[in-house]
Amino acid sequence: MVSLNSVLLISFLLFSVGVAGVLIRRNVLIILMCVELMLNAANLNLIAFARHSGTVGGQAFALLVMGLAAAEVAIGLALVVALYRKKDSVQVDQINLLKG
Amino acid sequence: MDHLLSSIGSHMFHLFGLLAVGGALAMIFSKNAVHSVVGFLFAMLSVAGCYLCLSAEFLAVAQLLVYAGGIVVLFLFVVMLVEMTKYKEKGLFQVQTPWAVGMVAVGVLGFVGVFWKAWFGASAVEPLTLRPDLAAGLNVATQNAQAVSRGLFAEYLLPFEILSVILLVALVGAVVLAKTERV
Repeated sequence: MVSLNSVLLISFLLFSVGVAGVLIRRNVLIILMCVELMLNAANLNLIAFARHSGTVGGQAFALLVMGLAAAEVAIGLALVVALYRKKDSVQVDQINLLKG
Repeated sequence: MDHLLSSIGSHMFHLFGLLAVGGALAMIFSKNAVHSVVGFLFAMLSVAGCYLCLSAEFLAVAQLLVYAGGIVVLFLFVVMLVEMTKYKEKGLFQVQTPWAVGMVAVGVLGFVGVFWKAWFGASAVEPLTLRPDLAAGLNVATQNAQAVSRGLFAEYLLPFEILSVILLVALVGAVVLAKTERV
């Protein structure tokens, strides 16, 4: 039986790696992947709590989060492709259209 | 025998969790974007293993199908679609990297302190453990998919339908966004 504390620790570590990736990388594709990683850490928490409370709601919601993550990736990658057509770059510090 | 099996399951969970964190670190620190995608794939496979150790078999398979089968392939397509070698000399990391890493490290240290207290300090509350009577209701060993489907299609039907609308909007939005602007 996996103890709840170790699940929470692993999921926290995954989430913090995701946050660090979003903050430090220039490449917008890797930022998107880090967002996916954070969603997965949240999913891990949901499943752990579902296991420990003995109910199935957490697993159902984890499945919903997974579908939402798929939708988010589709939109995000379409945005990246459109942006690459416009600016010819996928580096976030080059995307400064709103600066004027 | 049961004790041995459960301790093996726990160790497998820790192994998969550490592999997932390792894959994630490889993802954010690798120079080549394709290597990043491979690290991401590795992390997702390990998270699927974690789900398996938490007796969520259906979700583990769904994770494999959705992430390893769909999302990673999409990422690889886009990585090959956009040209990244042009900006290689500008460096991988943002200018605020030291500050960001410092802040994340402070957060990690604080939370690890909390976990440390929870593990080794005097426990203030009773630790949360599995209630066997409730776990029998989940029917984890034999009928996980049935249990999940009952939750998804009976108890949480409205969020499920809302998700289907969101997926439709995302489909249309992705097509509109990726369309070439030709009149």
